[in-house]
Amino acid sequence: MTTRDNHRMLSHSMQRRAFLKTAPALALFAACTKSTRLKLALNWKPEPEFGGFYAAAYSKHGLTLDILPGGTGTPTVQMVGAGSVDFGIVSADEIILARSHGNDVVALFAVFQDSPTGIMAHASRHLTSIGDVLKDGTLALESGLPFARLLKRKFGFSHVKIVPSPGGDITSFLHDEKFAQQCYLTSEPIAARRQGAAVKVFAVSEIGYDPYTTVLAVSGESLRKNPVRAQAMVTAVREGWQSYLDNPKAVNQQMHQLNPTMDLDTFAQVAEVQKPFIETDATRRNGLGTMSVQRWETLIAQFKELGDISQTIPAQECFRLL
Amino acid sequence: MKFLAPLVPLVLLTAISEFLVREGFVRAYLIPAPSDVFRAMIDSRLELAQALLSTSAGSLAGFSMSALTGIAIAVLLSSSRAVQRAFYPYAIFFQTVPLIAVAPLLVIWFGFGIQTVIASAFVASVFPVIANTLSGILSTDPPLRDLFKLYHASPLATLFKLRLPAALPQVFTGLRVSAGLAVIGAIVGEFIAGGGLGSVVEIARTQQRIDKVFAAVLLASLLGLGLFGLINLLSHLMLRRWHASEQPQ
Amino acid sequence: MHPSRVTSTSRGVALQLEGVRRVFDNNRVVIAGMDLQIDPGEFLAVLGPSGCGKSTLLRMIARLSEPDSGHIRMQPDGEPFQTAFVFQDAHLLPWRDVLSNAALPLELMGEAKLTRQEKARAVLGQVGLLEALDRYPAELSGGMRMRVSLARALITEPRLLLLDEPFAALDEITRFHLDVQLRELWQGRGMTVIFVTHSVSEAAFLANRAVVLGGKGAAIQLDRRLELPAVRNNELRGDPRLGQEMRLLLGAIEE
Repeated sequence: MTTRDNHRMLSHSMQRRAFLKTAPALALFAACTKSTRLKLALNWKPEPEFGGFYAAAYSKHGLTLDILPGGTGTPTVQMVGAGSVDFGIVSADEIILARSHGNDVVALFAVFQDSPTGIMAHASRHLTSIGDVLKDGTLALESGLPFARLLKRKFGFSHVKIVPSPGGDITSFLHDEKFAQQCYLTSEPIAARRQGAAVKVFAVSEIGYDPYTTVLAVSGESLRKNPVRAQAMVTAVREGWQSYLDNPKAVNQQMHQLNPTMDLDTFAQVAEVQKPFIETDATRRNGLGTMSVQRWETLIAQFKELGDISQTIPAQECFRLL
Repeated sequence: MKFLAPLVPLVLLTAISEFLVREGFVRAYLIPAPSDVFRAMIDSRLELAQALLSTSAGSLAGFSMSALTGIAIAVLLSSSRAVQRAFYPYAIFFQTVPLIAVAPLLVIWFGFGIQTVIASAFVASVFPVIANTLSGILSTDPPLRDLFKLYHASPLATLFKLRLPAALPQVFTGLRVSAGLAVIGAIVGEFIAGGGLGSVVEIARTQQRIDKVFAAVLLASLLGLGLFGLINLLSHLMLRRWHASEQPQ
Repeated sequence: MHPSRVTSTSRGVALQLEGVRRVFDNNRVVIAGMDLQIDPGEFLAVLGPSGCGKSTLLRMIARLSEPDSGHIRMQPDGEPFQTAFVFQDAHLLPWRDVLSNAALPLELMGEAKLTRQEKARAVLGQVGLLEALDRYPAELSGGMRMRVSLARALITEPRLLLLDEPFAALDEITRFHLDVQLRELWQGRGMTVIFVTHSVSEAAFLANRAVVLGGKGAAIQLDRRLELPAVRNNELRGDPRLGQEMRLLLGAIEE
């Protein structure tokens, strides 16, 4: 057996044992803390990327939870660190930056195993790789993000005009053939195709940058104080995601009521397109939302190289598998 | 001595916040210590200086357009009651439409670049100029209007020799309000179209560099203050011989 | 036209009011059919309690508003800028200096800068303000401001000078000064003067004819040629004849 298999088996038995230990505590917990209203802050509007969170049966696990939708620039990682919400949705790169600034946030569950961040361009430009997008025209990016700076480092921005990312809005893209923009591969391309545009997408993971995305995070303090609650949350969320992957229809309807800007057809399409990001070999082995120390280490090393963090931080402290 | 008075609360606030953050009462990623903000300013001085120049250009251009257009529109509106009733509601509309909602539209119409920043600054700051100038023009002393009527002065002569000079103090009131709004408008425009201090704030925010965000915001405030001071200077120069607001108490 | 004993060279207009009627929006009859004749060069004081319609009458004579019925005729007529008006407050343009304020009517008439400034200097000299040419209204006393207003009114050499309680806001000593000055200016130029006031002593001191308005529709209660000498100076203030006229006028008001 390889050390990996050992690791796998150990983690399985560890998980089982952990659950057995906590089961009675969970029951007690359910009885005592039903009254605390917990808050989960999303970092975008209700869309399929959060389907599992809306699908989860929190009360079954003794939790009463309010989901707070977000929008452009919702500072979820700060909200979790400051304690104004109990849980938040962030990305792995945000966690690393936060921790390096002394904000003790810990990842519990990674919905997207691979980053769905990408760049969308018009197919008529006949681009073949992500580097081609930077050869001319306009590119809308969130220039502060690590992947943007990685792109700049690798390819340089001297031939392309960089403008701010329009945050989900594709109007400028549709009006200009030479306009490319940062996007979620599960989102903007679908909307663009519906408007009749032929698009070509490039995943950011092409350049080797692949942070976990749509990650459920909790503050280190809360995790230490209330590990039982965290466990209950993760279990509920895992079940919720399984349920959503199996049948997203009802939850899509619910989310559409909350976010009428996306129609039900798009909800269905996106829910389908996002599956390969959520269900991977790793999750089939270790369960949905799983994370590995190697992936975290790689990401931390990339940050150190970019100069965004001055010292490496221990990967094990960034996440907890419950 | 009177110049030192406003500095006292500033010094106190800086000292208190520095203490709170250094001693851990407030977490540094929520509010940066003043010393961190200062250090960020020094470290990024070239970038911030360039950004400040860009935002200054955008806000000044937008503000100048607001001043000229606003006064012109007010003059037009003052020409007749009917014109006023027909068009003034639209001027108010300019005021009430939230800029954040309009800015993405501006990008579509004007593209990515300083022209959108200027447009945004304009939209944000034009209404106070219109409202205050109009009010000033319409509140000209009736006896003075009688005087001009008695000597058969043409409407144009009445406008330029009586109504506009009489409205000048109120015009300056409008300009004072408009100056600060122009800076805000420019920054909002920069969020969407890029460049300047708005862009620095946006990028620093995604990098979780709160100290840099504060540094940029501080510079933006100073810009607004500078513009305000410029208006006050102009107001003083033009009104000092004759208006109560500039006379010694 | 009245044959009259006018005490100065007549450069003034004659005025005829026939059936002049003015009604305000709330159907209040302010002036109900007034008939009045004013001779050239006459110094007429118009007296009456506050709100009786004196100012309204003056504004109609100045052609700043129109009567609802009736006529106001002027002889001669047609000469532009022959009417001047002095308001209760000086109403100077605060952003212009004294010289520029005095020259304003000529400026509005399109006269060249050099000539109008010369004329302004001349007329300001007549009211004793040569030292204050470059001062601004905010820097002047009430009395000085009023003198600028007078100079402004006189600069076009008007044939008709209308004054609406011009000295009411000033202190007594200044009032006395200005009364004398106004009388002298009138004597030197001979225009028709209509002086609205509610000061009986001022009316008696200044005018050679007084009209008292009162009651509904500003009816003429009294129309009297004052029996006073042509030269009016401060000595007249103590003269019993002044007191007599004042009593007569006061009596008409109190009715």
